[in-house]
Amino acid sequence: MKHPSFRLLLAIALLLGLTIPAFAAPRVGEPAPDFSVVDTAGNTHSLADYRGQMVVLEWTNHECPFVIKHYQPGNMQNQQRLARETHDAVWLTVISSKPGSQGHVSAARADELTQSREAYPSAVLLDESGDMGRAYDARVTPHMYIIDAEGILRYMGGIDSNPSSNPEDIPEATQYVVAALEDLAAGRDVAQPVTRPYGCTIKY
Amino acid sequence: MTMPTRQLPMLCLLLWLLPGLAMAQTDTGPVHRDHIEVELIAATTSVQPGSTLHAGLRLLPDPGWHTYWKNPGDSGLPTRIHWTLPEGIQASGIDWPYPEAIPFAHLINYGYEGEHLLPVTLQIPDTLEAGDRVVLQAKAEWLVCEEICIPGDARLQLSLPVEMSPPARNEHTAPLFEWAEQRRPGPVDWPARFTTEGGRLNVLIGPDQFLPQEPRRWAVFVAEDNLVDHSRPADIHINNDQIRVTQPLSPFAAEVPDALRLVLVDIDNARAYALSAAGETFTTDANEAPHPLPDHQTGWLVALLLALVGGMLLNLMPCVFPVLSIKAMSLVAGTGHDQRLHGLAYTAGVVLSFAVLAALLLGLRASGEAIGWGFQLQSPLFVGVLVYLLFALGLSLSGVFDFGTRIMGLGQGLTRHSGLSGSFYTGILACVVASPCTAPFMGTALGVAVLMPWPMAMGIFLALGVGLALPMLALSFSPRLARAMPRPGPWMETFKQAMAFPLYLAVVWLLWVLARQTDANALAVILTGMVLLAFALWLVGRPAGGTGTRLLRHALVGLGLGLAAMALITVAQIEAEPRVQAEAHWEPWSADRLEALRADPQRAVLVNMTADWCVTCLVNERVALNTETVREALNTHQVSYLKGDWTRRDPAITAYLAEHGRNGVPLYVLYPREGGDPQLLPQVLTPALVVQALESL
Repeated sequence: MKHPSFRLLLAIALLLGLTIPAFAAPRVGEPAPDFSVVDTAGNTHSLADYRGQMVVLEWTNHECPFVIKHYQPGNMQNQQRLARETHDAVWLTVISSKPGSQGHVSAARADELTQSREAYPSAVLLDESGDMGRAYDARVTPHMYIIDAEGILRYMGGIDSNPSSNPEDIPEATQYVVAALEDLAAGRDVAQPVTRPYGCTIKY
Repeated sequence: MTMPTRQLPMLCLLLWLLPGLAMAQTDTGPVHRDHIEVELIAATTSVQPGSTLHAGLRLLPDPGWHTYWKNPGDSGLPTRIHWTLPEGIQASGIDWPYPEAIPFAHLINYGYEGEHLLPVTLQIPDTLEAGDRVVLQAKAEWLVCEEICIPGDARLQLSLPVEMSPPARNEHTAPLFEWAEQRRPGPVDWPARFTTEGGRLNVLIGPDQFLPQEPRRWAVFVAEDNLVDHSRPADIHINNDQIRVTQPLSPFAAEVPDALRLVLVDIDNARAYALSAAGETFTTDANEAPHPLPDHQTGWLVALLLALVGGMLLNLMPCVFPVLSIKAMSLVAGTGHDQRLHGLAYTAGVVLSFAVLAALLLGLRASGEAIGWGFQLQSPLFVGVLVYLLFALGLSLSGVFDFGTRIMGLGQGLTRHSGLSGSFYTGILACVVASPCTAPFMGTALGVAVLMPWPMAMGIFLALGVGLALPMLALSFSPRLARAMPRPGPWMETFKQAMAFPLYLAVVWLLWVLARQTDANALAVILTGMVLLAFALWLVGRPAGGTGTRLLRHALVGLGLGLAAMALITVAQIEAEPRVQAEAHWEPWSADRLEALRADPQRAVLVNMTADWCVTCLVNERVALNTETVREALNTHQVSYLKGDWTRRDPAITAYLAEHGRNGVPLYVLYPREGGDPQLLPQVLTPALVVQALESL
């Protein structure tokens, strides 16, 4: 017999208004989605921590042939070094494979991979829930993003312009991340801010 | 014996290298690699000088594995063939058979599962002589994927004798060549245009007299790589010898090609067509504008669950609660077995009504009516009928007459089976009286539902119905719950009469909606109709007298009801006068006005789409948009404020909503200065949120 109060009705309206969460890709030129993910040492990283610094995000899966294509000849490691040392950027390698699926690794294994491949990321993030990957609509490995010092997304897409798994194709391809970092360092707009990401599907 | 010993390391090295050497060699016949078998094959057993040879790459991935089409979709790589051919022989590119859409997680790939052939045509020069052999060599490169992907390559070879006679068909390879031929898209020159405006690919094909006319099921594969979001299916509309295809663009689409290649597959006739569309602007018909689909099954499951909960909450609505609480009381009075039957009959009534309503809505939409959820309340006639119905129910509860008691199952011995139909009708009644509440409170959720494929949409509506029926059903099945209900007694009569008042309040609200849709005259007419209805029902409730008085009474009841009905019909025909507000800080929305304002680079524009029966909209206006803070912010930031009113049907507004992927109100769109991309504000506004959005312009 209780008359439903207006507040209750409004609450229902709000509840029902929030039916379906958006699953939208981020847009270049707009603020990049924030995240809060632990790294292999157990430290939490969020985008807000890096205001004032450029951030490069690299989605990876160590068994993916397209990732191997760029790690085996050292192309990825060189870009990590270039980004961190020449451009003073933060390089976060992200693993979004869910536990139990292909590409998922423990923190110890991830560190071991970094060491054995002589990789040079600032940190390796273990996005087991896939929340960060979904927020960025990361689809494949490698999938690359560059966020500027103000937190604005400046580049998203592939590592380079030749969607192959053959390391011999690297020298001929345009290395998009390197080009974008150089454009940003020179104060230019990124020439190719959105490109086709190619690689292995991320196992969310 | 020293020599061999010294040569041993060398020998070991050679042995170790051998497998590697074997890998680099060229193979005739099938070659096995990880999870796939590949082979060069020909359609004939020999070649004839001066003719063409049909050959190709046969691929046989392991079960569950696949390779890719020329556009691999959201990930993957197309298979490639690099030929090394004797002088004079020319190879065409791969004549790609149309692929299958292969889903993986939230992505869609285009490729082939099972044994398949990538056919190629070779030109054989007439300089060859009988007795020669033609050796075709090729390096094939592929990516074969299941959950993981393995890139592979192989050097392959095919050797065929040259014979002067027309070559004989190779019976072993014939089925594969037939398969490829059947899936070969035939080139057609149907006129086709495309645009990529508004984040979507729109393709308009035809008109062309050779375009198949009958309605068919079509599938479409855009051949351009990295253009559309393959995981979001293409919408295909056919009308007036035109085919319109729309698909959201990929968030990673970088370049738009000058010409768009696509493959259309006529599924029913297993025929495929290859065509090319020119990039050129054309207007998209808003009624056919595609709607973004929720990306995930989970979205649907969440909506389903919310619909169920929402349905349960509907029981508390002022228009529903009075009717159902009394039904619940009478249900408690019955005995176990019959109670269950009544609960089921009631549930059937509710769910069936929702199914009918949903079918009506989806059917109307499919036939091109520009309507959205809440469409019932856009009709003054329907609102009027609801006013009468709720008013009559209220009168019945007040004790003026007891017509409604039959429907509500009051005073009926529930042990009697005849009461079952009563319970069924209560279910229908519950759905009808709930509808003024569903529209305003569930508009958003149901608006989303309407945009889904129809089986999913129907699922949402049925979940809403089941939710509405659930409390009563639970009561009828659980004796413990029933015992928790208060015992029947004389207090029930008081309760029943008290319950009339929420109904009268619901009537007042509906009258207000009606007044907004029409005008003061209509309000007077409908109120008169209500008095006539009350008079007729009061007569019905009077104890019967002699034959003469009874006849007179029937006549008067008929007259009263008839006049009330006429009042209703009159009301439905009255059009609202354009509403003018003196000191409004907004202007009425129209597409032209919006365009004119946007043409001024100094102007930002806020668009508010609203309706009087949308409670969320009204609350947002009250607490946010009409506040002094927001008015000032609009002035300071030079933002024009346009308001569109969807209280009555308005195809222009329906189209505008669809453009923004919506099917219901509220919708708030903020256009920045200098023609920037519009920004959608949330459906629940606060002054701070609006001011912040205005400041960020």
